[in-house]
Amino acid sequence: MQNYVTLTIDGAPVRASRADSVLDVAIEYGICIPHLCHVPTISDLGACRLCIVEHVQNGRSKVTTSCTLRVQEDMVIRTNTDKIRKLRRNIAELLVAEAPNSRAVQDIALRCGVKQVRYPFRNKTCTLCGRCVRLCAELWGARAIGFVGRGKDRRVDFPFGVRPDFCKECNSCIDLCPMTITPCDGPMKTGEERLCGKCEGQLLMNENFPDFCVWCALGEGFGCARHA
Amino acid sequence: MIITSLLQVKHRDHTGLHMRELTMSVKSLDVIVEGRRSQPQQLIEVLQDVQDLCGYIPRESMITVSKELGVPLIEVYRVASFYKAFSLVPSGKHVITVCLGTACHVRGARRMVDQVAGQLGVSPGGTTSDGLFTVECVNCLGACALGPVVVLDGVYYDKMTPRKLSRLIDSVRAADSEGRANA
Amino acid sequence: MPRLAAIEDLEHLHASLAADRERAGTSIIVCGGPGCQAAGCGAVVEALQAELRGEGLAETVHVRVTGCHGFCEQGPIMLIEPGNIFYCHLKPADVPEIVSTTLCDGEVVDRLLYTDPVSGNKVRTESEIPFYRLQDRTLLALNRQVDSSSITDYIAIGGYSALAKVLREYGPEEVIREITRSGLRGRGGGGFPTGRKWAACRAAPGDEKYLICNADEGDPGAYMDRSILEGNPHLVIEGMLIGAWAIGAEQGYIYVRNEYPLAVERARAAVARAREFGLLGDGILGSSLRFDVEVARGGGAFVCGESTALMASLEGKVGEPRAKDVHTVVEGLWNKPTTLNNVETWANIPLILRRGAKWFAEKGTKGSKGTKIFYLTGQVKNTGLVEVAMGTPLRTIVFDIGGGPSDGAAIKAVQTGGPSGGCLPVDQFDLPVDFDALAEAGSMVGSGGMVVMDERTCMVDVAKYFLTFLQDESCGKCVPCRLGIDRMLEIITDITEGRGRHEQLDLLEELADTVRETSLCALGKTAPNPVLSTLRYFREEYEAHITERRCPAGVCRALIEYVIDPDRCVGCGSCLRACPQAAITGEKKLPHTIDPSACGRCGICLSECDYGAIVLK
Repeated sequence: MQNYVTLTIDGAPVRASRADSVLDVAIEYGICIPHLCHVPTISDLGACRLCIVEHVQNGRSKVTTSCTLRVQEDMVIRTNTDKIRKLRRNIAELLVAEAPNSRAVQDIALRCGVKQVRYPFRNKTCTLCGRCVRLCAELWGARAIGFVGRGKDRRVDFPFGVRPDFCKECNSCIDLCPMTITPCDGPMKTGEERLCGKCEGQLLMNENFPDFCVWCALGEGFGCARHA
Repeated sequence: MIITSLLQVKHRDHTGLHMRELTMSVKSLDVIVEGRRSQPQQLIEVLQDVQDLCGYIPRESMITVSKELGVPLIEVYRVASFYKAFSLVPSGKHVITVCLGTACHVRGARRMVDQVAGQLGVSPGGTTSDGLFTVECVNCLGACALGPVVVLDGVYYDKMTPRKLSRLIDSVRAADSEGRANA
Repeated sequence: MPRLAAIEDLEHLHASLAADRERAGTSIIVCGGPGCQAAGCGAVVEALQAELRGEGLAETVHVRVTGCHGFCEQGPIMLIEPGNIFYCHLKPADVPEIVSTTLCDGEVVDRLLYTDPVSGNKVRTESEIPFYRLQDRTLLALNRQVDSSSITDYIAIGGYSALAKVLREYGPEEVIREITRSGLRGRGGGGFPTGRKWAACRAAPGDEKYLICNADEGDPGAYMDRSILEGNPHLVIEGMLIGAWAIGAEQGYIYVRNEYPLAVERARAAVARAREFGLLGDGILGSSLRFDVEVARGGGAFVCGESTALMASLEGKVGEPRAKDVHTVVEGLWNKPTTLNNVETWANIPLILRRGAKWFAEKGTKGSKGTKIFYLTGQVKNTGLVEVAMGTPLRTIVFDIGGGPSDGAAIKAVQTGGPSGGCLPVDQFDLPVDFDALAEAGSMVGSGGMVVMDERTCMVDVAKYFLTFLQDESCGKCVPCRLGIDRMLEIITDITEGRGRHEQLDLLEELADTVRETSLCALGKTAPNPVLSTLRYFREEYEAHITERRCPAGVCRALIEYVIDPDRCVGCGSCLRACPQAAITGEKKLPHTIDPSACGRCGICLSECDYGAIVLK
């Protein structure tokens, strides 16, 4: 079996290793797709749905997340169509209304074209992106935290809500958490649903780990700090 | 009309709960886990048996199950908190289950919830302060022709009305206080 | 009973059992389905057996307790053969009269016969009852012929003969070709062509393959899978055996909903019996087929009806769906190729192979073949399981089989397909019920729930009900489903509580579209259907809630008020005693009043009042 495939992303033919996801390949080629729950080196969950793309097959396009989509020979991917931009904006709007007090989420919302938020702010402290959960399990093998409960009661917690002995308080979960930096104009209030707007260009969550950027530039006119 | 169902009637002797929990963790859990050790795929089946035995999933049992089956503790806790079949807290002596399936809903099941909540002062999922009643709602019991359906301790009561339900609760309460007076 | 070592053994057994049946005299068939059981058929059977013993008839009269007959509203029900006499609403006290009058004297007990609610006439035989007469009962009719705990009953009516035929005459490819030619599509909701699924799974690389029977029927108001699995479990097992032969799987699972303990018990017993007979295990009927089935209990999660979530649950994990960019026929259970079909789909397989693909394809429409079981419920006269050929108009099902509105109020809509389906208004009732026509109209066949709603149902409230259900059942993994449903519910709650704004309807539509397009699994992708279909057909109800702050059906509590008409109230006090909020005051024999600030608007007083004095304002 050949180890490389050629696919088309936004009209450009690209070559990729067979094991890669569409998102990885796109980022590698500087085609930036917004994402929140995706972090390099750990498994993908497909939870935030920001990295959606159109996968064109037999003339029909299907919306799917690029982080969970493996590349295939002759695949046709569109990352930046009107439809995708609109859907992505609506998802970002849902996210920012839930967690407006995160600079990362505010950034994502702005960059995805959210101008106003049509839902009351909820000021949750977690977006359930699951970065911490997967990091703890996959990188450290500790499994000290996990998703608990279901649906609207879903949360990240220790077993029985108590920190177990095998959590070594390495704090790497906190390093990866998109909720740790508040927007400059925070805290946001319910009833004043607006976006801070001052955070643009401060996309890097941690300057030492540029790959952990929550999202790189999308389309024209934004001038991302990394890709300007 | 009182109808017995084949649903297992779970034993919920409130006073005996603590004792049983203690003995359970030593003996019965061994029986449940026997033959399933180091088989992570058996997690749900094992927890079902624990739930049937105790009426809920005690914390200690999750720790034991985690060790015996070789499943991380967080995964056991996740599964126990995810599925409706498992309860993490002990329930009251009597469990009232109101079916809110579509058929029951269009025939006014909401009123049964109102009746129970008003009469007992607890919202669905809660247990009365005297530990006598736990109120639960389910999304369908598959007895749709009989709606609205209310289940009390595994016994189905069909075509319920708020009045019938109110009398049912009163009769259980009366029987209980009588039982205590005799004891 | 010795193991059936070869196909000939099965045929001999069938011949002798069938002959026994032929010779048998009177048989009394009592429905032991979930509805009848809850209505007390157990006591009726006990009384019947005692009476027969007492009369010395225990040897000559054969009593058979079977799976669901479908007419649950009338339970407990009994059928006496020969004669096809149908008795309903039985009590143990009726049994002596049945034995003396019908069995001994050959007369019919008039008062126990079914009364046609439309004509008011008593109906003597089952086949004359309109509810049954207009159906095409292919699968359900088998329920009546077998005692579900008896494998010999099943063999007597030709059970496992399709398996024998396949093992003798068909190669795996031919089986798949036959299934493909029949046009069978998955009965679980998606309507995916079964033959194509099997072919893909057969072609998938790997030797280890699995079959799953999805009996996690979580749709509120639907239990056709339960009735088949409880009533005729061997039919499902035979279907899976044929699937195993075609696909090359050695292990199968039946994943049963936790709320159906009887189905679990029956399925387990059936699997054990099939093993004893050598119909599961190694070298089945002397062939090279090796296959076994395990019955697993679900944990109680609607989302586990989704294939990847179900597989995660079978692996002992949390039932969260995963992305299906690689289909489960290639990477399913334990990452091995897996074929998952619903109970009703598996149950159709033996019939197709026994009678031929052509027989099956003759029924139905261009894109949807065969019969489909629906659960008809809600505000209609006859509720129960209805099996009709695909393409039967909704009107026939609701008005002819269902007998029309239950008590006078005009029928407004029918909700099909469970929480993921949609509501269709009366003017769409000429639609043929098949996968494509319903999908085009904004609903779906789904697993086959069919809830009839009349004027007293508020469609905004219905949308709210389903969203509440879905919010409760969403696993919470992905953003559009978790937050999108939550926000849709928030908007609809605003509307039902009189805070709605016009622009919210556009937002609702936009949001619904986003959830449909971007959710991870089918639960999320179909979650907006109740909202979109009610918006499409009943927009004026939404408008009334928003513009006039009025609920036309008088359901939404924030928009209605209950008052007592002092001219009609006699002061009996029954409402006062019934009110759970203690909002009603008044002296005995004097008109009472409701305190609107304390009133919970539950309507209990309205249902309690015998004088029509409580008025909805």
